[in-house]
Amino acid sequence: MQAAGGFFSWEWVVNHLDDIWDRTVQHLLLTAIAVGVGVVISLALSIIALRFRWTYAPITWFTGILYTIPSLALFAFLVPVTGLSVLTAEIGLVSYTLLILIRNMVAGIDGVPPATVESARGMGYTGRGLFFAVELPLALPVIIAGVRIASVTTIGLVTITALIGQGGLGFFILRGLNLFYSPIGTTQIIVGTVVSVALAVAVDLALVGVERLATPWSTRRAAA
Amino acid sequence: MIDLQDLTKVFPGTPAPAVDRLSLHIERGEIAVFVGPSGCGKTTTLKMINRLIEPTSGTVRVDGRSAESMPAHELRRGIGYVIQQIGLFPHRTIRQNIATVPGLLRWDKAQIAERVDELAELVALDPDMLDRYPAELSGGQRQRVGVARALAADPPVLLMDEPFGAVDPIVRAHLQDELLSLQQRLRKTIALVTHDIDEAIKLGDRVAILSEGGHLEQYGSPSDILRDPANAFVADFLGTDRGIKRLSLIPISALDLEAGPVVERSATHAEATAVALEYGTDWIALRDRSSVDGWIRIADVPSDGPASVNPEPFQTRLTRESTLKEALDAIVSSHTSVAAVFEGTELIGMITAEAVSREILR
Repeated sequence: MQAAGGFFSWEWVVNHLDDIWDRTVQHLLLTAIAVGVGVVISLALSIIALRFRWTYAPITWFTGILYTIPSLALFAFLVPVTGLSVLTAEIGLVSYTLLILIRNMVAGIDGVPPATVESARGMGYTGRGLFFAVELPLALPVIIAGVRIASVTTIGLVTITALIGQGGLGFFILRGLNLFYSPIGTTQIIVGTVVSVALAVAVDLALVGVERLATPWSTRRAAA
Repeated sequence: MIDLQDLTKVFPGTPAPAVDRLSLHIERGEIAVFVGPSGCGKTTTLKMINRLIEPTSGTVRVDGRSAESMPAHELRRGIGYVIQQIGLFPHRTIRQNIATVPGLLRWDKAQIAERVDELAELVALDPDMLDRYPAELSGGQRQRVGVARALAADPPVLLMDEPFGAVDPIVRAHLQDELLSLQQRLRKTIALVTHDIDEAIKLGDRVAILSEGGHLEQYGSPSDILRDPANAFVADFLGTDRGIKRLSLIPISALDLEAGPVVERSATHAEATAVALEYGTDWIALRDRSSVDGWIRIADVPSDGPASVNPEPFQTRLTRESTLKEALDAIVSSHTSVAAVFEGTELIGMITAEAVSREILR
């Protein structure tokens, strides 16, 4: 099963394609849930921060603290409460997206030209209409930039959740570490890492595509 | 149509009011221009009309109704609004931008589409532009879109805050002319803010001159204000050339034209010299039957009379509708020191610098 002296086993890869596929899907799913839930929570907190400016400092302070907690420590705290579950993994993953997402959302809305806001109000837009019809769409490029960073970061972090029985591609890396100094071990570490990086690049590019589609106005400029 | 009564705005944390007990009335179908140095409260005043700024005290009535009798957003949907940077929505096409207020008023789609096409034609906007985004248009085109958008729901009142501030002088002059010709047809009640006194004089049926702290120094027609400034502030703001500025408001038809030193082709040298002497000119205009061909220096008239000469054409051709400013320009830039006025190809008379000066002093 293993070639003596080698450190990478193609045979293992070929025999475990189904396994790799399943873990990749799980990895993507964990990421999608984390970023999705993160966006919803961040949007709510951003609206609060924009509406009541004084809450912005405490919100960034709190999410900043979450951001700095070492992920291993966070999972160690959570396992006694929520167990070795998807929930535990997601609580951690979501926590790490908030700071990036909120900062970009608030900066995006703040960056909407005042003249645009004023003319919208002057034409009879009210608070909610103004936010959803004018401010949010115009903030989209900055918000999506935040989603890209959060997604790439989360894809890396998902591997850590292998320690609490989740992990997607991190499962291979963890098992590979336990089988170190054997070609099967190094093969699994390499597969887990390479696919994870490829996933991050693919998701980032996909989000660039989403941005192009969602904000056609930002790429079209006068020829003159 | 728009009635401001003791309108006052004191911004929190500032000792002096930005606008101080301002009262004035804007007639239906007129353009009232608010002009003054920065800090005179002209923009604040404008924004109190559509309640983007709430007055500290005083009242605004639009078409007899108090501005406070309805929710601010309803008031605003009934008042067109154009600002300096135009404020077009960069994420919406020109068509969607123009359709903004009809959309907020929930017109049906077919009606909105029809209205957008109508407006594009009204402001002379190429229909190809409608599906582009604002960033793809020139400054002048964007300004037209801004006006079309403000007119979309056909509001009786338009507020314009430095609408031509962001375009270069040539485009600005052109857009000002377009606004005036649009106003000829639409007869909206327009309140317009500018810091440019020349723009105020050109566009305003009435001009409100404000000084720092929102004091109304004078409110009246441009020609009244130029002829008779209420005080030193107004005179100073109008500038030392207010006589010349006023000329741009007076048409040539307001003056009695002088016949000028016109001599028949068949005249003798002595007759031609006598006419020039009578008018105090060193030249004569030559008439052949009914039409005047041009002019010639008296020194160049041959001793046998002007019958055979080839006269110089007049450089500038003015009509009765031309302004005295144009006439003065013709006078100072032509050799003849008079401006010839034509009706079609027919010379109907001349204007001298003295006649223009008499009109200023009148």
